[in-house]
Amino acid sequence: MASDPSPSASRSEPHDDSLMTKSLETTPTLKHISSVIDSLKKQVAADRSVSIQKRIEDNKQKLLGVTNHLSKFSNGRKSCWTNNNDNSVDLLTKRQNDAVDMTTGDKDGYSSQEDAHGSTAVLQGSSMAVKNADRFIKLAEAKRLPPYTTWIFLDRNQRMTEDQSVVGRRRIYYDQNGGEALICSDSEEEVIDDEEEKREFVEFEDYILRMAIKEVGLSDQVLESLAQCLSRSPREVKARYEILMNEEKAVEGSKNGDEAHYVNPFLDKDLEAALDSFDNLFCRRCLVFDCRLHGCSQDLFFPAEKQSPWSHVDEENVPCGPHCYQAVLKSDRTTIVSFPLNGDVEEKFAPLSDGAGTWISRKMPSGPSARRRLKSCQSESASSNAKNISESSDSDIGPRQDTTSTPLPSPSKTKLAGKCGIHKRNSKRVAERVLACMQKRQKKMVASDSDSIVSGGLLPSDIKLRSNSHKENADATSSSHKNVKSLIVGRSRRKEWPIQDCRNLVHSEHPDGSPNKMITDPPMTSSDDTMRKDECVDDNTCKQELSDDKSWKAIEKGLLEKGVEIFGRNSCLISRNLLNGLKTCWEIFQYMTYSENKLSCQAGDAANSLLEGFSKFDFNGSMSGNEVRRRSRFLRRRGRVRRLKYTWKSAAYHSIRKRITERKDQPCRQYNPCNCQTACGKQCSCLLNGTCCEKYCGCPKSCKNRFRGCHCAKSQCRSRQCPCFAADRECDPDVCRNCWVSCGDGTLGVPNQRGDNYECRNMKLLLKQQQRVLLGRSDVSGWGAFLKNSVGKHEYLGEYTGELISHREADKRGKIYDRENSSFLFNLNDQFVLDAYRKGDKLKFANHSPDPNCYAKVIMVAGDHRVGIFAKERISAGEELFYDYRYEPDRAPAWARKPEASGSKREEGAPSSGRAKKVA
Amino acid sequence: MAKIAIGSEPVVGSLTPSKKKDYRVTNKLQEGKRPLYAVVFNFIDSRYFNVFATVGGNRVTVYQCLEGGAIDVLQSYVDEDKDESFYTVSWACNTDGIPFVVAGGINGIIRVIDASTEKIHKSFVGHGDSINEIRTQPLKPSLIVSASKDESVRLWNVHTGICILIFSGAGGHRNEVLSVDFHPSDIYRITSCGMDNTVKIWSMKEFWTYVEKSFTWTDLPSKFPTKYVQFPVFIASVHSNYVDCNRWLGDFILSKSVDNEIVLWEPKMKEQSPGEGTVDILQKYPVPECDIWFIKFSCDFHYNATAIGNREGKIYVWELQSSPPALIAKLSHAQSKSPIRQTAMSFDGSIILGCCEDGTVWRWDAISAS
Repeated sequence: MASDPSPSASRSEPHDDSLMTKSLETTPTLKHISSVIDSLKKQVAADRSVSIQKRIEDNKQKLLGVTNHLSKFSNGRKSCWTNNNDNSVDLLTKRQNDAVDMTTGDKDGYSSQEDAHGSTAVLQGSSMAVKNADRFIKLAEAKRLPPYTTWIFLDRNQRMTEDQSVVGRRRIYYDQNGGEALICSDSEEEVIDDEEEKREFVEFEDYILRMAIKEVGLSDQVLESLAQCLSRSPREVKARYEILMNEEKAVEGSKNGDEAHYVNPFLDKDLEAALDSFDNLFCRRCLVFDCRLHGCSQDLFFPAEKQSPWSHVDEENVPCGPHCYQAVLKSDRTTIVSFPLNGDVEEKFAPLSDGAGTWISRKMPSGPSARRRLKSCQSESASSNAKNISESSDSDIGPRQDTTSTPLPSPSKTKLAGKCGIHKRNSKRVAERVLACMQKRQKKMVASDSDSIVSGGLLPSDIKLRSNSHKENADATSSSHKNVKSLIVGRSRRKEWPIQDCRNLVHSEHPDGSPNKMITDPPMTSSDDTMRKDECVDDNTCKQELSDDKSWKAIEKGLLEKGVEIFGRNSCLISRNLLNGLKTCWEIFQYMTYSENKLSCQAGDAANSLLEGFSKFDFNGSMSGNEVRRRSRFLRRRGRVRRLKYTWKSAAYHSIRKRITERKDQPCRQYNPCNCQTACGKQCSCLLNGTCCEKYCGCPKSCKNRFRGCHCAKSQCRSRQCPCFAADRECDPDVCRNCWVSCGDGTLGVPNQRGDNYECRNMKLLLKQQQRVLLGRSDVSGWGAFLKNSVGKHEYLGEYTGELISHREADKRGKIYDRENSSFLFNLNDQFVLDAYRKGDKLKFANHSPDPNCYAKVIMVAGDHRVGIFAKERISAGEELFYDYRYEPDRAPAWARKPEASGSKREEGAPSSGRAKKVA
Repeated sequence: MAKIAIGSEPVVGSLTPSKKKDYRVTNKLQEGKRPLYAVVFNFIDSRYFNVFATVGGNRVTVYQCLEGGAIDVLQSYVDEDKDESFYTVSWACNTDGIPFVVAGGINGIIRVIDASTEKIHKSFVGHGDSINEIRTQPLKPSLIVSASKDESVRLWNVHTGICILIFSGAGGHRNEVLSVDFHPSDIYRITSCGMDNTVKIWSMKEFWTYVEKSFTWTDLPSKFPTKYVQFPVFIASVHSNYVDCNRWLGDFILSKSVDNEIVLWEPKMKEQSPGEGTVDILQKYPVPECDIWFIKFSCDFHYNATAIGNREGKIYVWELQSSPPALIAKLSHAQSKSPIRQTAMSFDGSIILGCCEDGTVWRWDAISAS
């Protein structure tokens, strides 16, 4: 047929045209198809051998250079040697030369005391071995180490990674004594599942596929014979073909000059997408990334109770940097306070000094009383200008005032009311405040406008609207405008608004007065200074505002939102902790006010929005209206993540639960946090699982299934009177009332001390307060663990760490370990077994003894079961450590069998498996 | 093993000898009764290209090949521990070029013998179990690497006696490591294989400062901050049984299992994800009756040919770098019936040595074509 017969043809599709036409003419017969495929196959095989030839040739050339280089090295050593060491005697060289000299020497080999074989058989020719060295050079004996397998130190348990599993794998065990290799597999489970390994299509397969279909067309028949040829399923072949075609198109498409534009993938993601990896990699229990114990892609549990936003203390209110909103606001306020007051530039200075006075007075007092005083100060300073404003916007104020008095559900209302009460006499102030709100609303409109600007089209109506609002604004603060304009001469209107915005924002900020912020403001020393700053700030503001909408990327917005959730509306903390390097405090502050207003405007109710807008400026961070929305967002996200990653998990859950309920006497059950959003009921996974709810559960603290920790005051939590100790748990500073740890040297402050000189002694695993353990040659067998310093009874010595593996895995591994007669398996709970074979710590070498000086105990530490080794009696320094492995009586190896078969209670419940495991 | 896809088939060499070269037995010597596990020529120093070492039982013996098939015993060392059974030997030297013989075995202790003074230079204690192979870095012959039953591969500096790196841990071998080899030109790279059926390629690039530090270390060797290299850069499942020998052939790897063949393959790594990658099996060199483990092959200095013994005492000599592979010669002798554990090819491939289970060393010399 038409296929290219030349085997060495390059794969540049030389037969395109002729083939295409042919395939159109006739419907291909089976014979035709197979012949086409066969010829393609042959071609591919030929190509393959050519390519191998070429690669080997290339490699050969390369290697030749390498070996020549190496050979120079070898020769170099010779010359170097002869130059430098003329005098010294190299015995190897000497013997070499001696040997050549005495080639004709005696014929026998060498005689040795031991197993020397006297005769050297010379088979052919006249050559013979020459005895040169009669004597043996003795190598002094070096003491060998007790055998061990190289292991990695673990300071905490790790869950086994998938690739370490031996389940389902054929294992060969080499028996050193028998000198034979045994295949270790149990026939029932060892269905050598050929694993339906999804082979990727290699280049040549693609080629055959493409060419064959090109030649004979796409039909079931063709697919079938192709599938046969490639030993795949027709469906697979077809799918691959489609992929190939798409790829081809894509390649062509890109050739046509469709330039894909590349963008920074990280910054263009929104926070949720960026957080996806965080959610997957960050362990919320251990507070580390890539946790080896709990693994990646854990179920996410969001506590039903939201933490209240971080409340900041007064001393935090120093401006956080040159771009702190406080610094900016402070200077801004001067300008803005002065602007509405005075139409003329000359008059500006008077209120400026006034403002300075205000600051000084603010600086002095602190606490709640300051708030009032501050406010009165402010209102006083504002009163004069308020008159002016209220006159100019008389008609507006009336109805707005009404709205203020209408009852509103938001907490800001009461506050407002309270304030009104305080400042009864100052009705002008209220008016001003209302005015400010109004202005804010206008600004909101501007905001939405500028949004549309960003998105592209600028509608004429928009412009009108904006100019209208602008006018309104201008009316309201008529006097200020002259001033502003004088400052921003030559700037476009669009630039102007942001300035108004910030002014608005300061306005609205002004009446509420957030005292905390102002109190520590440094007093302004000279009005000149202020002026300079003003201008500076003004410029900055303009620039920043200009870029405001555009420059806030999705991720930054997302981060801000999180920041508000964490810190409340504290832009200093948000900028420092979350948007460091991305946004300044001032920018954040602006954006916050800005977006909140926008939001409240969208909410519809004008009055509500006004007041809400007000409350937003309350820096105590009460997030009244917004919270509902945010919560729902979380719910949405949580749902999504779970669906993607954890469906399989929940499926497996039930089977595990079943097993557990069948085995009631199992001592420890693995804890998995539940995700109950209300107090745990019958559906709670913890309850079903038979574990307590822990601090990692989603359920509220009031949940009845929660372990509530202890309230011990004097027992030091070391007796069974402590509920934690009695339940084989360590105390948890997050849960127990009096169990705490101080950090560092105490300069960071210590928690309230309730007991007298109380120190919890039941947190040693958590705090890793362990004894120094030494590794050495055991007096009993192999390696042993020794104690460096002497300890008292019941002292915690250290943790037995290892890999967490499933019981099934442990059964499988145990088969080999038992053969080797050294097992490091340790039953942990119903789900996991600790294997310290390749990962662990020195305590894995502690030997078994029926009369030990230590004991092991499984303890729940922060939701995880861990094995602690404790002193059973007083142990002096340098003593070897032993504990009872508590092997199940029928499984125990001979050396661990007790003479008086005293099966402990705990051992009965252990799963019946064919291996020896330590049991605590 | 997965089926090989069309277009990825390896080229398999034909067992018909090409008669390019012929070898004949020129000597046979019985060293002792205990099996000999390793034989190796000195490629490190051109003065000693005709010197080779063998190990077996508790003995290390240094020989010299002379013209005409003669073999001289130059030095003979015996470990005072009669239970020692050496499995492997390699040539190395200190930074001054003093020749060292490095041997290891069942005791897990690496014996570094100074051949110029015939004294033990150092004994490296550290491996937790038997040592299965020791290789020397050709570019820096005071670096050696050892493969052990304790599932680790360790890098040592014989000059200062320091254990620099341990290749083991989370991504390490899961059973005895049987063989290890330095890359001929990429000084950072080693390959190891073993009883977990895998071949692993490791890189010590990130740890190279420790290697350099080891040369200038003056404190006690035990105080050196030995590092664990836990993750290989490549893991290959080429074989489905014990892999008992692997060698670099340029950037390709030659490895063998118990499947009566040596396999030449190319590791194709994925740049982004270390540890992953694909294996492209290029060629196969059949070796009949080679189905027991611990049979190692060897190459001449320029990697033109490889020689491997089999269970029945025959040696197959393959031309390595031709495609398809050509069998240079098949060496057999009526009296050679014992399994040949390892072979050694001389610098130019003109001499082939085989050491056998029965404690004999056989010398084969190439017959000139004329």
